[in-house]
Order: sequence, then C-alpha cells, then structure tokens
Amino acid sequence: MSMTKKAIHKPTAAEDELTTRRRFLTWLSGVGLVGSAIISIFSNLIFIKPRATYGEPNRFPIGRPEEFPPGTRISIDDKRVCIVREGNRLAAISTTCTHLGCIVAASETGFACPCHGSRFDQDGNVTGGPAPKPLPWYQVNLAPNGELEVDKDTEVPPGTYITV
Amino acid sequence: MVQRVRRNGLFGVLKDLPRNIWDSIFRHPLPSSDLGRAQTSFTNFFLHIHPVKVHRHTLRPTYTFGLGLISFFLFLILTVTGILLMFYYVPSTTQAYDRMLDLRGSVAFGTFLRNMHRWSAHGMVAAVFLHMCRVFFTGSYQSPREFNWVIGVLLFLVTLFMSFTGYLLPWDQLAFWAITVGTSIAAYAPVFGQEIRFLLLGDNTVGQEALLRFYVLHVAVLPLILSLLVAVHFWRIRKDGGLSRPPEADTELFESQAQTDEPVREIEPASATLAAGVGAPVGDTTTGMMGVVKRRYGIQGLVRGPFTTIGNVPDNSVFSWPHLFMAELFVFVLTVAGVLVVSFFFAAPLEEPVNVQHPPNPAKAPWYFLGLQEMVSYSAFWGGVGIPTIEVLILLLVPYIDRRVRGVGRWFARERLLPNTLFLIFALTNVILIIIGTFFRGPNWEFVSPW
Repeated sequence: MSMTKKAIHKPTAAEDELTTRRRFLTWLSGVGLVGSAIISIFSNLIFIKPRATYGEPNRFPIGRPEEFPPGTRISIDDKRVCIVREGNRLAAISTTCTHLGCIVAASETGFACPCHGSRFDQDGNVTGGPAPKPLPWYQVNLAPNGELEVDKDTEVPPGTYITV
Repeated sequence: MVQRVRRNGLFGVLKDLPRNIWDSIFRHPLPSSDLGRAQTSFTNFFLHIHPVKVHRHTLRPTYTFGLGLISFFLFLILTVTGILLMFYYVPSTTQAYDRMLDLRGSVAFGTFLRNMHRWSAHGMVAAVFLHMCRVFFTGSYQSPREFNWVIGVLLFLVTLFMSFTGYLLPWDQLAFWAITVGTSIAAYAPVFGQEIRFLLLGDNTVGQEALLRFYVLHVAVLPLILSLLVAVHFWRIRKDGGLSRPPEADTELFESQAQTDEPVREIEPASATLAAGVGAPVGDTTTGMMGVVKRRYGIQGLVRGPFTTIGNVPDNSVFSWPHLFMAELFVFVLTVAGVLVVSFFFAAPLEEPVNVQHPPNPAKAPWYFLGLQEMVSYSAFWGGVGIPTIEVLILLLVPYIDRRVRGVGRWFARERLLPNTLFLIFALTNVILIIIGTFFRGPNWEFVSPW
C-alpha cells in the first residue's frame, strides 16, 4: 500500500479496533505498574512497623500501699509516674512532659520540665511554659495480693483517687 | 594517544610489561597541548564529570567561596571516617557507649577519627547552609536552575537528618534526650504524627529498636539518598550550563584573557559591537577589530581536526586541566587540613551514659538544632512542625515564585533587593534563634545571661 497516494489516511474499522485495543492495553499496563509501585511502598511500610515491641509494659505493679506513707509524693522515674498519697487516698500522675516527652521533676509548686521549661501544679495542670496539656492521671488498682498496680493504658480524670 | 611499545620475544614483553600496564591505564602523558588538556579530562572516569573547558567567572574564588565543593569534600571525609568507625561500633544499648570509651581508650586513632567525623558533620551542616546562602544572594536559583535549587534544598534537609540520626549512636545523655525530644516533635505532625514517631522508634519509647533503626538510617539509607541527590545535583550543573554567571561575562572579554591559551583563538572581523580594548587577543586574522572572538567547540571524541567555531561570543573559557582541577585540589587540601587541625585540638563531646530517669538540665540539642529547640519552647506544633514546614515549602518554591531573571551571577545585585532582603531576614532569624538557644538558655530553659 502506497501512502503517498492518499493525502489523508482514513483508518479502517479494523485499525480503529487495533488502536483502541492498544490504548486499552497501554492504560492497563500503566495502572498495573503504578499499582505495583504503590503496593510495594505500602508493604515496606507494613514491614518496618513492628507488630511486637520489646519495651516496658504499660501495666505494672508498684508495691504495697504501706510503701507510700500519707502526705508523700514519690516519683518512680523508670516507670514515669508520680504516686501521690493524701490520707488514705492514692493516685498516679504521669511524669512524662506533655510537651516533648522529657521527665518532669517534682518541684516545690508541682512539677518542672528541664527541657523546655514547662511547669505544672501539684495536680498536673499547666502553669507555665509550652506544654499544651495537663499531665494525665492513670488508673491505679489494688490487686488481690495487696499490691498496687498502675495501668498507663487507662487515663482517669484528674482528681480521681482510690481509697486504700 | 600514547604510542604503545612493541617488542618481540619473551624478554622484550617482560621488559615492556610495566610500561605497557602504565600506559594502558593512563592513556595520555601530562598534557602540554590544548588537545592533551582536553583529552585528559575527557578520557578520565573521575574527571569527565567536569567539562573540558570551564568559564573564567566560575573560577573566581570570591564568587563561590568553594562552598559547594567544601560540602562535598566534607561528605567524602564523613564517608571514609564513618566506614572506619563502623569497624568498632555495635548498635546495641548495652554496648554502644562502651564502644565509644574503647574508641577513646584502646583503638589506634580512635579519638581522632571520631573527632574528624563529628567536626566534619558540624562543618557540613554549616557549609551546606552557607552554600545555600551563596546561591540565593547571587540569584543562581533562577531559570534554568530552578530544579537544581530544589535538589539543593532536599540535600540540606537530608544533611540535617543525617546529623540527627548520627547523634543517637553514642548512646550518651545528649543522644537519648535529643532523640526523645526530636521524635516527640515528629509526633506533633498532623494526622500521621504518632505513626511517624512509632515507625522511627520501632517502639513507644527510645530504646534498642530506635538505636538500630537510627543506625540503619545513618549508615545505609540516608547516605544512599544523599549520594543519589549529589549525583543529580552535579549532573544538573552541567546541563544548566555550568555555574551561574552574569550575562556580561559571556559578552565581554575578561581582562586576564590575554595571558593564557592563546593558540585556540580566532578574531571575528565583522563584529564591532563591543568596545575595543577589552583585552587584546592575539590572532593571525586580525583586521583591526578587537574584542570579539568566535567560541570554538571541539569534538574530541570523534575528530582531531580543526575546531568548530560557533556563535559570536568571546571565548572566556579555560581548560579544566589544569585550572579547575588545581582550584578543586586546593579546596580539597584546605578542607582536609581544616578538619585535621580542628580534630587535633578539639575533642568531640561525649556525655554521661544514658540515664533514662534523669534528663540533663538543660537538655540541649547540637548548635544547629538549637534554633528549632528555641522555637519549640514557645509552641511544640508551630515551632517544631508548622513554621519549619512553611519555611521548607517556601524555600522549595522560591525559584517558581521569583520568576524575574535579573541580577544573576552578582552578589547582592541591586535588582534583587527584595528577595535578598527577605532571605537575609530568614537566615538572620535562624542564626539569632541559634545564638539565643546556645548562650542565653539555662536550667529549665530559662533565660540566663552568658556574662
């Protein structure tokens, strides 16, 4: 077939069908490649997200109530809680700064953070600095064996004490 | 090309062996002609990333201050010292700190290598930032170099992230608390903040998993990304026509022109558009007109015949060998010498071993993050995520916002007063925040006077 004789080549029905099929296959390949890329990125993300962690458990025993005499505020730094005992009432306040995760130290007026200067009162309310939220209070349970157990997965409203 | 020595017989072959091996590796003798100079850079694997000829303006020390080269050479030093340190390092919470002490106590040159690695890292952050300032103040991000500016901003971010992942590795107090703070900042990112933090740490708190992850990022993932970006960055310089230079650098002859490289020039007699007396090139077809010279392009790989002459532009280029390579060697030697001297006199800090119960007071990041830490002390989201994100976005978009191509190739060009002023404010703000964070913040991040 000589192309020079035809000024405009009019596609035949068969050629039209071919073009459509080619375009469809190209489109399909593109979708397949992009889709595979997206799926592999996601599987990599799933791979690097650990299913099990090896860190500290969030529920842990802290000892018997007698170890926290009335009127004391005892910080357990490796567990990052402060046990507050007033009379026969007892509560656990977090000592992880709500700003950027440093450990707040007990001060005369409550808690102070050494990293960026956040300050909290005795109940963990923000009194200064960049901390956006008050320190959370955690659930404390008295286990059947007489030991106190802090559950950091369960936050309780500030001012919630248990009676021991 | 070198004429290969050919002798017959076993004795002859053996006698010529060293010479033939040498000549098969180094194809050209030290160049004494322009063809030789061109071939030297053209046929050498390590040199051919450079053009055969380079514009004179590019070689002006006060134009670039060699800052990009310094950044790259520091990266080379970091790679070499980093690989050496890897021979003795174990990314384990129980061993890492002891290994630091071993480096200090029992490994030959251990302290010195660690000093070199630490100070080069600090130097690289500074050099990359200053390089960015140079590119901005000379208007070099403008068309057609927009995309290379974007690559450059990414390189700056990767450099910072390299440094950030590096300082967890000694597992000292600075390491632990800086990463605690740093990853908490990441947790303030909208929507995926907590996820990002968890992926970075591999756990809910900074521990063994975090140390391993940061190690892999530091020694494998980020160096790969950095190398790739550096390769694209260098390649784009060539594709964008070399370093930026003012338009007049292409139309006027440099005064130093007449001193070197005379043989490859030919006077273009017809054009008298330029003032006579701007240099006085010598040539055999002079017809009384001076100044404009046809630029010649050689196709060394194919043709050894006469040069092709293209365009009515003065030839302000010189051969990369030796002009550019000597300049680069000079910067390299200077960079290495600087790192060696600093590492000899100043020890890299190593704080107390990690104590997860007591953050140091004040807990300070390295100097280049103290501006960020200062902002974070006002608001964790805005200081740590919001403002830095906006800053990076603006930096990335600068060449697409500032579309007027003017004042390129000159420091602090008058035509670029507005963008230069804005960038100066941006740079100074960060410097001032760093100074405040470094010298004016004490325990509990309260204001103190350094005096």
